[in-house]
Amino acid sequence: MTSTTASSRSSRVGATTLLTIVVLALAWFVGFASRLFAIVRFESIIHEFDPWFNYRATHHMVQHGFYKFLNWFDERAWYPLGRIVGGTVYPGLMVTSGLIHWILDSLNFHVHIREVCVFLAPTFSGLTAIATYLLTKELWSPGAGLFAACFIAITPGYTSRSVAGSYDNEGIAIFALQFTYYLWVKSLKTGSIMWASLCALSYFYMVSAWGGYVFIINLIPLHALALIIMGRYSSRLFVSYTSFYCLATILSMQVPFVGFQPVRTSEHMPAFGVFGLLQIVALMHYARNRITRQQFMTLFVGGLTILGGLAVVVYFALVWGGYVAPFSGRFYSLWDTGYAKIHIPIIASVSEHQPTTWVSFFFDLHITAAVFPVGLWYCIKKVNDERVFIILYAVSAVYFAGVMVRLMLTLTPAVCVLAGIGFSYTFEKYLKDDETRDRASSTGSNKDEKLYDKAAKNVKSRSLQSSADGEDTTVSSNVRTIIAIILVIFLLMFVVHATYVTSNAYSHPSVVLQSSTSNGDRIIMDDFREAYHWLRENTADDARIMSWWDYGYQIAGMANRTTLVDNNTWNNSHIALVGKAMSSNESAAYEIMTELDVDYILVIFGGVIGYSGDDINKFLWMVRIAQGEHPKDIREENYFTASGEYSTGAGASETMLNCLMYKMSYYRFGETRVGYNQAGGFDRTRGYVIGKKDITLEYIEEAYTTENWLVRIYKRKELPNKPTVKETTIPIKGKKVSQGKNKKGVIRPAATATKA
Amino acid sequence: MKRLPILLLVAVIAVRQAVADRILVLGETVAVKDTHSDFLNSIKERGHELTVRAADDSQLSLFKHGQLIFDHLFILAPGVQVFGGSLSPKEISKFVDAGGNVLVAAGSNIGDALRELAVEHGFEFDEAGTSVIDHHNYDQSLDSGDHTTIVVGKDQLINSELIVGSSSKLSPVLFKGVGLVSGKANNLALSIVKASGTSYSFDPKSRRVVNPSIAGSRILLVGGLQSRNNARIVFSGSVEFFSNAFFASKTNSVNPSVQKGASGNSELATSIAKWVMKESGVLRVKSVNHHKKGETVPPAEDYFITEDVVYTIEIEELKNGKWVPFQGKDVQLEFVRIDPFVRSTLKTIMGVSQLHSNFPMYLEFSNSW
Repeated sequence: MTSTTASSRSSRVGATTLLTIVVLALAWFVGFASRLFAIVRFESIIHEFDPWFNYRATHHMVQHGFYKFLNWFDERAWYPLGRIVGGTVYPGLMVTSGLIHWILDSLNFHVHIREVCVFLAPTFSGLTAIATYLLTKELWSPGAGLFAACFIAITPGYTSRSVAGSYDNEGIAIFALQFTYYLWVKSLKTGSIMWASLCALSYFYMVSAWGGYVFIINLIPLHALALIIMGRYSSRLFVSYTSFYCLATILSMQVPFVGFQPVRTSEHMPAFGVFGLLQIVALMHYARNRITRQQFMTLFVGGLTILGGLAVVVYFALVWGGYVAPFSGRFYSLWDTGYAKIHIPIIASVSEHQPTTWVSFFFDLHITAAVFPVGLWYCIKKVNDERVFIILYAVSAVYFAGVMVRLMLTLTPAVCVLAGIGFSYTFEKYLKDDETRDRASSTGSNKDEKLYDKAAKNVKSRSLQSSADGEDTTVSSNVRTIIAIILVIFLLMFVVHATYVTSNAYSHPSVVLQSSTSNGDRIIMDDFREAYHWLRENTADDARIMSWWDYGYQIAGMANRTTLVDNNTWNNSHIALVGKAMSSNESAAYEIMTELDVDYILVIFGGVIGYSGDDINKFLWMVRIAQGEHPKDIREENYFTASGEYSTGAGASETMLNCLMYKMSYYRFGETRVGYNQAGGFDRTRGYVIGKKDITLEYIEEAYTTENWLVRIYKRKELPNKPTVKETTIPIKGKKVSQGKNKKGVIRPAATATKA
Repeated sequence: MKRLPILLLVAVIAVRQAVADRILVLGETVAVKDTHSDFLNSIKERGHELTVRAADDSQLSLFKHGQLIFDHLFILAPGVQVFGGSLSPKEISKFVDAGGNVLVAAGSNIGDALRELAVEHGFEFDEAGTSVIDHHNYDQSLDSGDHTTIVVGKDQLINSELIVGSSSKLSPVLFKGVGLVSGKANNLALSIVKASGTSYSFDPKSRRVVNPSIAGSRILLVGGLQSRNNARIVFSGSVEFFSNAFFASKTNSVNPSVQKGASGNSELATSIAKWVMKESGVLRVKSVNHHKKGETVPPAEDYFITEDVVYTIEIEELKNGKWVPFQGKDVQLEFVRIDPFVRSTLKTIMGVSQLHSNFPMYLEFSNSW
């Protein structure tokens, strides 16, 4: 009897392991495959804006080696300031793909680094699935882990940042995030220094990969603090947190971009505060058994108050003294959504920094958005040390995702974990027969629970159908079947939705545009690459290109030319200067451009094809950012119509019609006719005829306009060799004489007799 | 220096060190050869090749097969209404753009061609028939009574030895002709000789003076500019200024504070001609070198912050037809990132070779970003 049990158990374990591996492998494969839409439709190309810089940096690193990369001074960016790339990037992404490239190379698989970059994010989505499985397994059960792994593999909220070609930090950072959390939970459960050290190492990888590491270094202390407050302090917590904090801080300071921030900025101070608090609490626990209650109270209540007060005072003194930087603007904008719009327009101008709409919650999470509160509820109901963590994670991530669209990304893993728990727990109950229920294993040990679908048959214990779970038993088996079927249908719909969203919304490289004709043919518009190629082939190698910062990385990556500002928006005043040039009239802009040695100006104009993401639509942000730095020269209200609207149409203001951006966008546009009945100069994006059609350029000249007018490039003219008098104050009456080749000249007869 | 753009505040002009420059001299008639022989001979003596023509000659041209056939153009013909041959104000403007230098001497009898030419180069001559009149500074012995032959003191000259020679030693000069004014937007204009504050420009024959179009020291007697391609143009309101008559005259100003004596026209005209012909006021950079302090060659890659850098530049000046070390005390080096953030005056140190001056400079970049 016992031997058969043992053998059947081992075979069950084997089968379960196989099943787990197969499910995870499938999740990896499906996640990978569903991210390839962009490649199948377009080509193996780097997408969007930031990935172009990452690709360029990776390329540089692969060519010149890691140390040269760390010392890389990029004189082609932020002209004339330049950018110390090595010290201003999170190098994890470049190192990861460089390492993969090196491994493949040494295995004699010679792949271009671009292919490694393109496929990095889909590959890491599989690793993320595994990390999520491990985390959920630690938090709840392996079954929930498999659910969560499958969710995260295809959930649109994560796919949006990790499709093939979207070569960005987030692609690998979500894996690092989940893996760090897994190791943290593991180390908390075991109280082992080894797991804590591994957690710190994983954290180090996260720090090297993404600025979002700040989320971890605040969430883990928050978790520790919550445990202390809940009276769940244990020596396991002490060991894991203190070893994690010390190692993690030292390791994170090894990343050049982070440097001394972990000890010098307010964002990192909570972690330090919790570290100090833990010491006190540990001391308290140590002393409680050794001194009398009376002494204990005086010692700790008094001591704690003084220490707490002292800590606050010291913190503010350090901030005041400049040793610790106060909280940054980006931090404040997380709490006050109106903050960025007033104080840092450059942050507010980015669409992914806008508050999230309800639609996008559904769009990115679908059914998991609805189910994850269920999982959260189960976690609260059966709370233990590690579930406190996922509760805090979910609650804070929901808040942040509500503030910024971009932070939906940090919410997605938490939602997947909790939805996995929710589905798993529900199915666990509803797919089982009444008589085979096993309540004994629901809490504490998880050695039987992981076999939730088969194990229960062999364990007979029907005694615990009382207390909290009593109401489940009243549900009839038919209802349970129906509910189970509905849930399965939901899951199927989730898969369909995820595939649909991935395919239609998140697989556009945005370097190549696609539209369709009325009869469904696909039209590919390759204007961006056409323009960048033109720049690469037809301009001097050191030509400086001025454009709005969105296109900086693309110009540097694809055209290989010097840019003034780019997507690494580190210098607001420089961006404001470019914004000022764009919003000034031609002669004022010319002065700025001369100062900045601009050779070409590039604008994106969508009026011909109706592309809404063009510079005219972004123009108000340029004005606002310029106004922030040059309030005397640029005033936002000058760009509005008399009725206070933003328009380039009939009512547009004089300032608007004379600014460089308007002139460059609409130069020669008045000559175009879109349809038979439409007047010339009909802007399809804005839907009206432009305000001024006869635009003349004095200081710049058109250099190139792409097929669909999407990208227009202008050249700054040199000053004339010599100044000429344009309007003579003393009139010249003489009529112009025809200027032949061998004509006889005319000498004015001497009017008066010559002098004595 | 790879990483830092440098703006060196030195006007650097690369010129041919030609021995014989080809000059086209245009007079109203070829007789200008005789009336201005002193001026023209002084140029010939310096080894240049003069071609004297009448301004209405139908064979005139400045280009042949698209190449300049003259290096300099002297127009000593005030009354040109229309130039002969292929010449025209436009053509002369093209000549300047191609690097040719132009000296224009006008007079009261100014023709439209010269006035248009001035407009092309950011100056305006007053209308034909007008003269610069100064009742306080006319020459008593030469003037015919309308106070148009005026005596110019050295304080009216531009403070530039390179253009007007050593003005401290210069005697007063004689001027008789039309007024000139620089255009408002002409920021390259050089006021080589300004009129005095008591002068005005009007028709000397008219009885009453009503609203002279230009007056006071806004009037330029001689104006010039160096165009952006380093070509030089000088407009003088007076052709007599360069004439043998004025060269040989003695001044006798009505203004008692002005000393009487031989006129300085010859010296001033020669100086101005030298400047126009780029025989003076020309610099060139012979070599630029930079390296870390204590080393001799530039680093293979970049300079880093806190490193001492030695920057050496050898500048030469054309003096009397020879390139000699430039002795400027105010050569500055600027490192510009939008605005100059390092500006340092270079020190002159006579180098190993005594012929050239070096300007080593020690810059310490401390925390410059």
